[in-house]
Amino acid sequence: MVAALALTVDGMRKAGAAQGGRFVVLFDPNTLIAAIACSGDRAAFVALFDHFAPRVKGLLMRGGTPAELAEEVAQETLLTVWRKAALFDPAKASASTWIATIARNQRIDIARRETRSRLSQVYEILDEEAPEQPDTTLAGAEREARVRAAMTQLSADQYRVVELAVLEGFSHQDVAQRLAIPLGTVKSRLRLALSHLRGKLEDLR
Amino acid sequence: MSIAHRPSDEMLATFAAGQLDEGLALVVAAHVEADRESRKRVQELQAVQGALLDAVEPVAMDMGPPYSRLVGPDAAEFGQASPAAEPGLPGVLRPYGLGPWRPIGIRIALRRVEVPGAEARVFMLRAGPGIALPHHKHSGLEWTTILSGAYEHEYGRYAAGDFDEADSDHDHTPRVDPVEGCTCIVAMTGNVLFQGWLGRLLQPLVRL
Repeated sequence: MVAALALTVDGMRKAGAAQGGRFVVLFDPNTLIAAIACSGDRAAFVALFDHFAPRVKGLLMRGGTPAELAEEVAQETLLTVWRKAALFDPAKASASTWIATIARNQRIDIARRETRSRLSQVYEILDEEAPEQPDTTLAGAEREARVRAAMTQLSADQYRVVELAVLEGFSHQDVAQRLAIPLGTVKSRLRLALSHLRGKLEDLR
Repeated sequence: MSIAHRPSDEMLATFAAGQLDEGLALVVAAHVEADRESRKRVQELQAVQGALLDAVEPVAMDMGPPYSRLVGPDAAEFGQASPAAEPGLPGVLRPYGLGPWRPIGIRIALRRVEVPGAEARVFMLRAGPGIALPHHKHSGLEWTTILSGAYEHEYGRYAAGDFDEADSDHDHTPRVDPVEGCTCIVAMTGNVLFQGWLGRLLQPLVRL
């Protein structure tokens, strides 16, 4: 663990070259985040940025956020990853989940800038301080695996509805417009899709 | 703490998406902080967001990495501790200003929670054992998380950590636990019409 943390991306490249081996980049966000936390590794940051910033932007745009705002949120999200790298705990959540919650908080901060919203602090307090179950050091990894397995079992329709619900919340009007389905069916479909996901998660438990 | 009443999955999804009005979100957060099961659901919804992030089609950035802003870890990030939570209050209230407890009747007091920019008005209510809370109707939402003690109405008993989403079609009169009393945090939107002498006392304080 300590040795892995001491590695930088450049270090890995040199180590690979020194052994005469071909340098193969496996994208490992946990190691990259650890490298930022330990040594302020800029190359690690660039690798994370190149992978995640276009995805954060893409995710927000899929939820209907305009490109310019999505770009700003993506920039601020990755900058927060740089600043808070030391707070990342891979036992609690995957790098993707951690970065997605940072993106949500950045989006709140930017959208509600003028009212000086404190809502992102509320989420941080919940994430950082709420007591974990005592028997679950592996809870985070297990949860991630279950959620990913459950997601693969959703139909394309259900996936889209869950996507809109967890990204955009429960904004019926928006969902109805975007999916071109009557407003009246949106609520029941959202409820169905979420309970379906919930059921899959229970099955996998 | 045994929780009997929780927000729906849809409401938690909206909460996890960061799309609830801040006042309503704060009352949900007070419940989530107290309830392991709802916290687990929120964590699952966040993991769904992470899975979606992995699966999404990337969209090229217009600007590259913000090199000029990559300074060492921001000292302020770690040095700036939020004020300590008041004993007995949820940690999620820490970022917010709280007014003083003000008596608004016999054995009933109200304390305002300042949530700038929120549509909902947020306040804590503390009621002595056995009293009936003001009988009221409302046009908007009224979400409550019990902080201590309990009350009871036609939908059941609501004790510490429980979440109560009042149905705007009903008017109800919660009855406070005869031994423990009750302290709760409430977010309200729309107009509330209190009835009776206690309601008339409460009205101007809640209406803002």
